[in-house]
Amino acid sequence: MKSYTRELSTLLALMIIIVIFSAIAPRYLEISNLMDIVEQGTVNGFLAIGVTCAIITGGIDLSVGSAMAVSIVTCGRLAVAGVPPLAVVVIGLGLGALIGTINGLLVTKMKLQPFIATMGTNSVLRGIAYLITGGWPVLNIPKEFRQIFQYSIVPNLRMSMIVLVLMAVVYSFVLKKRKTGVYIYAIGSNEEATKLSGVNTDKYKIMAYMLCSMGAAMAGMVTLARLGTGEPTGGEGYELNAIAAAAIGGTSLAGGKGSILGTVLGALILSALKIGLVVVGMDTFYQYIATGLIIIVAVYLEVVQQKISGMFSKKKKTA
Amino acid sequence: MSDTMIRFDNIQKKFPGVYALKGVSFSVKKGEVHALLGENGAGKSTLLNILHGVFTATDGDVYIGEEKVNFETPVEALKYGIAKVHQEIHMVECLSVGQNIALGFEMQKHGMLDYQDIYRRTDEILQQLGCRFKSKDSISGLSVGELQMIAIAKSLYHNAKIISFDEPTASLSNAETEKLFAIIEDLKKKGITILYISHKLDEIFRIADRATILRDGTYIMTTKVADITKEELIKNMVGRDVSSYAVRLKPPCVQEEVVLDVRKLCGNGFRDISFVLHKGEILGVSGLVGAKRTEVMRAVFGIDKKISGEVFVHGKPTDIKSPQDALKYGIGLISENRKSEGFVPVMSNAMNMGLAALPSFYKGIGLDKQLIYKNFETYGNKVQLNIMDPEHLTQNLSGGNQQKVILAKWLATSVDILIFDEPTKGVDVGAKAEIYALMEEFVAEGKSIIMISSELPEVIGMSDRIIVLKEGRMSAQVNRDEFSETVLLGHAIGE
Repeated sequence: MKSYTRELSTLLALMIIIVIFSAIAPRYLEISNLMDIVEQGTVNGFLAIGVTCAIITGGIDLSVGSAMAVSIVTCGRLAVAGVPPLAVVVIGLGLGALIGTINGLLVTKMKLQPFIATMGTNSVLRGIAYLITGGWPVLNIPKEFRQIFQYSIVPNLRMSMIVLVLMAVVYSFVLKKRKTGVYIYAIGSNEEATKLSGVNTDKYKIMAYMLCSMGAAMAGMVTLARLGTGEPTGGEGYELNAIAAAAIGGTSLAGGKGSILGTVLGALILSALKIGLVVVGMDTFYQYIATGLIIIVAVYLEVVQQKISGMFSKKKKTA
Repeated sequence: MSDTMIRFDNIQKKFPGVYALKGVSFSVKKGEVHALLGENGAGKSTLLNILHGVFTATDGDVYIGEEKVNFETPVEALKYGIAKVHQEIHMVECLSVGQNIALGFEMQKHGMLDYQDIYRRTDEILQQLGCRFKSKDSISGLSVGELQMIAIAKSLYHNAKIISFDEPTASLSNAETEKLFAIIEDLKKKGITILYISHKLDEIFRIADRATILRDGTYIMTTKVADITKEELIKNMVGRDVSSYAVRLKPPCVQEEVVLDVRKLCGNGFRDISFVLHKGEILGVSGLVGAKRTEVMRAVFGIDKKISGEVFVHGKPTDIKSPQDALKYGIGLISENRKSEGFVPVMSNAMNMGLAALPSFYKGIGLDKQLIYKNFETYGNKVQLNIMDPEHLTQNLSGGNQQKVILAKWLATSVDILIFDEPTKGVDVGAKAEIYALMEEFVAEGKSIIMISSELPEVIGMSDRIIVLKEGRMSAQVNRDEFSETVLLGHAIGE
């Protein structure tokens, strides 16, 4: 129902980054390294596709890092207590949905600004994560649970990547092909007009925040499986990387615009950059600068693109 | 010609691929009120924007007096004494009246803002304009008309020689409009040249000396307003014969059956509103700005809270608390604020048209593009949308066509009661007639319309029956055989 120009330009940017780094260090192009980029981008990918849903409504979710931590310690505890791995995953997702519902209720029913509301829940959730473990990490996560995400189908291709792709496909389908998604975009673009079309806008906003926190819960479970221990400090500060991935992928913080595919590519750009700087032997300090510049350039390109398409629309108007 | 103030010489403006203005030349005399007329998209606003330096012309020159100016920015134009009063007035809420007037051009003394001087100067201007508020007053709480006075004061603060007005009366009450006209007369006496854009032709005949008509970016004619009839004006604007008046072309089709029965409704700012709506009826709702017509209908539609009262739909009591409840009872609403409440700007025509009926476009578990397109085909044709491209963004359509998209959105649902708030606000003459025809078609199918309108000819021409509101109360109910502007105004004012 739309063209993929924006996603193509993100893909192009990703390829340019890969080409530049491989020119400097050929081993960057090795399969194992490329898969490492994907692996490193997975956790941020889950967070970012979630947060994209919240951003499209014109909101934001700053609590994803802490929601991830709550998922890490809760699922960690359950797995250690011997709950079957798949049941843990289901409970984890349910937990995400619950956290999202709370965020959504704060934003819709209590009419709090999303930035402040989720800043509040961010702190509350972090506290809960600490309380659940008493501040200690959850140790000795059973192998059966870790295998759900860590199992390699072929070398370098882990289940967690497959799950990310599955989740991205489902989210894309919901956003593009279900009325839920259409309403989420419509709310972000013009909430009043959407409401006057007979749409229960509160309900769909809450659903967007649910999708958001479910992504965070997934990110938590993948982290838990990867590390084998559940740290209540997990995911601290991750929300900014997630928002960055969405922004690089073309999601507008003003709402109404963005796509899951773009966000996944945005997450890959960030991890390609991170690994690239390591491979070419640059100081990791530069990683911060490079990440920041990428965000600024990406959003600036968006502005330029808007200007150009703005000229086109004027043309059509007078036609 | 020494009395020429502005001269447009072969102005052309090309946007990528298309000419918005194709060589427009004419002059505006010093101290006259000069109307710019044309349908939406005729190039009036583009021309004004070129005068004010918002756009630069692709070719041609603008002369002020004998001097070639061709401003590159609005500030340049403003410094030259060319000011604009916008259709929608934007003010900085946290600043006082005087601060808003002086904003960006504050007088300074020793490198500090000289508020004494600023307030003295702005108070002088406000007094000239006969405003009841002072420069130190806060902006909040002022009416749209008062904000417009501030915008005019701002022009005078810049010693404007030329002031242009773009649809200045669109949101004004009758009293405020009268006051504006008196001020424009006054400005004219001071030798200030006025450019005036309005869709309301009656206004043109009231205040303009001459008028220039544009059509599709070309200059059609400049004429003394006294030398032309309304019909001739319209004919030249549209390029074909169109009835300027709202008239019913089909016989009335009101049936006995009551579809909507509102009893003693009370809400924010209004109380004891009772009326019925019949099957096949167009019920006009008349009254002054501030009579709470929109508020009553918003409450019926479930946007605003009702304090008390009952609403019966098809004889059944209802408890409508939100628009989605209203939709279940078959009630739709088209807001007068098309931009902010009418459509979703990021969405295409097909999506905007399908928005209220989305659940019916599922095929399996996903929405089906073909069904959405088919819906667009059906209803786009029905409302005669000018651009039948499903992927075209609604925000890039003209006002009239946006209105058609919104109307089509409700036609695509099973709505049989439509609340239509100012159906032709900001809609050009040609599209107006089409919207009237669509309304007639709607009621001919046994559905019903409640039409809020501030334009008396429209409400008189289109309604089967009219209710008049005054200050949040029912003032009168008027049947078709008693319709007249005097009767309606009388009830609205309460004499």
